[in-house]
Amino acid sequence: MDPGALQTYLPTLVRYLLVAIGLGIIMFIAYRAQIRWGSSREAAAGRTLVMPWVIGFLIFTVFPVGASFYLSLTEYNLVRPPTFVGFRNYTDLFSVNVSPLQSADQRSSDVMPTGYKEVQRVNVADGGAVFSAKEVDFWRAMRLTLPYAFLSVPVGMIAALGVAMLLNQKVRFLGFWRVLYYMPAILPAVASALLWRWIFSPDSGLLNNILAPVYRLLGIETPRWFSDPNLALPAFIILSLWGAFGANSVILLAGLKGISKDLYEAAEIDGAGEWAKFRNVTIPMLSPALFYNLVVSVIAALQVFEVAAFIPTSATIGTFVNWQIYTEAFTYRNMGMASAEGWILLVIILLLTGLVFRSSSAWVFYQGSREEAT
Amino acid sequence: MAATASTERWSSNTPVTMSRGWHVRQIIIYGLLVLGGLIVIIPFVWMLSTSLKSQDQLFKPGIDLIPNPALPQNYIDLWSRLASIAPGMSFWRIVSNTLFMTLLAMFGEIFSASLVAYGFARFRWKGRDTVFAIMLATVMIPSIITRIPGFLIWKQLGLLNTYDPLTWPSLFAWGPIYVFLMRQFFLTIPREIEEAAIMDGANIVQVYWYIMLPLIRPIMLAIAVLSFQGNWNNFQGPLLYLTTPQMYPLALAVQFFQNSVSKAAPLWQYMMAMSVMMSVPVLIIYFLAQKQFLDGINIGGVKG
Repeated sequence: MDPGALQTYLPTLVRYLLVAIGLGIIMFIAYRAQIRWGSSREAAAGRTLVMPWVIGFLIFTVFPVGASFYLSLTEYNLVRPPTFVGFRNYTDLFSVNVSPLQSADQRSSDVMPTGYKEVQRVNVADGGAVFSAKEVDFWRAMRLTLPYAFLSVPVGMIAALGVAMLLNQKVRFLGFWRVLYYMPAILPAVASALLWRWIFSPDSGLLNNILAPVYRLLGIETPRWFSDPNLALPAFIILSLWGAFGANSVILLAGLKGISKDLYEAAEIDGAGEWAKFRNVTIPMLSPALFYNLVVSVIAALQVFEVAAFIPTSATIGTFVNWQIYTEAFTYRNMGMASAEGWILLVIILLLTGLVFRSSSAWVFYQGSREEAT
Repeated sequence: MAATASTERWSSNTPVTMSRGWHVRQIIIYGLLVLGGLIVIIPFVWMLSTSLKSQDQLFKPGIDLIPNPALPQNYIDLWSRLASIAPGMSFWRIVSNTLFMTLLAMFGEIFSASLVAYGFARFRWKGRDTVFAIMLATVMIPSIITRIPGFLIWKQLGLLNTYDPLTWPSLFAWGPIYVFLMRQFFLTIPREIEEAAIMDGANIVQVYWYIMLPLIRPIMLAIAVLSFQGNWNNFQGPLLYLTTPQMYPLALAVQFFQNSVSKAAPLWQYMMAMSVMMSVPVLIIYFLAQKQFLDGINIGGVKG
């Protein structure tokens, strides 16, 4: 191996071992101290075992999250020390405006306040409105990311459920199908982003090549996917479906396999048809798995990163919010503004997962808890 | 979906129409499965075939899945191209960087997750369920929010552009999902096994090492695959902390290459060759451990 490599590996390796040993010593002392203070051996052992996570949580989560809130109240470019600006980053971010258009061909710039840029223009008959904002990059990113999450997650789940139900039909070579369908989820996100950029490439990409006869038949122009404001979102959704539907269906399949046959037989005796069985047995029994899937997928969809890093879109289309925040922080060095944007993203994720959790009591059915109740 | 009934229903209830209906059903089911399989597999084939094409073949109209002639030397040429942009970016160097990072982080994740999960699954202590719930809730925190102050901390420590931020923090069980999966698995192991050992005078370390570790091997393997994949594929972390091209892992080398070629003429054959190289190790590990892996991830999905 070349000596340069060793020089970069060794110090890290040494520090890795020191941290591991240090952690072991801390755990040992903490265990002894707890016993001395009268904890039972069981409680002391349990608390000691989870200590690595607790320490990591304090250092790598609680402190940074707190610090990022402080940073969000400052202006900080890494060179000069942070200056406190109160909630200015937030008020700038929420400086948004909706201005009506008098006629369909009025220019957007005529109705927007100065310092604002267009995020989205909607033409309705003989008028319409322009949504504009000061921090236009952030809002364009939101305009792309939120619809992306709202569309790709449900569509992906329906596709996954369909495939899972197919695989549950006593098919032969189930092992083979499972392995095959899970494959896209194994592919590195970097590789799949690049691959799809190439597949969607307007001039010689696979997709336009395959669909060329269809375009000719319908007499439409060759679509320029990621550069077309109307097609970028569908293209990103197709990409995400390919990456996720198989993996989710493998997980849902395990849920389907866990549904007792007795339930279907009982439903049949009651005269239930296919749809009734699906609606009243499959969905309720599968709902915990669907719920888990929904939560995880929503959180992931709001944090798309590699795809945005590898697939350039024009400024008017915008990019995914996670990448936009990254660029704000590490390309433009607006640490304060980026932190404020990060906090808005956090609040959105909390609200959405909160919503899913709140709704779950209405549609998620836990076998155990229902049995206790009766 | 039309395909909800189990096949038995057709055979038991409708013996007369069985063969016909059954065959039609089978054709539909397998037809759809094959269609889905093609959708899954064609992009992989396209990636591989592009990586073997010449610049001219790339832009030939039509769908050309088997390039003729095939150019396996693309896989070598791309490294000499990279080395000409940044001296020292050799194949072996980049691969060993990736492996170094991945293996250290993977070991830390598996080891710490198994300890923490053991503490959550097997011992009663006050506040345990609350702490566990907090741990699960942390998956909601977007990583970018901790990245910005995190970057400043590593900068203060003088550890930017080292592998430190990407390796030893894994010893602190940074993956809540792994802890969760592991805990679910611990819960399926009968308590009597450890109780017998404790009666015989074994201490906790001994119980963990000699009794629990061998028992949790299947889930450890599943998590090893997940963790290998996660760290091998990691892009955001290295992007933030590493600045010297010679220290890049594969994911960053790919991006470095993409940024170095002109947007007007992206050298897709080389980019796809890099993607293939990056994907092959994870795919091989996935194929080798697929049974344990797929069973392992399902523990979380079903019980979640």
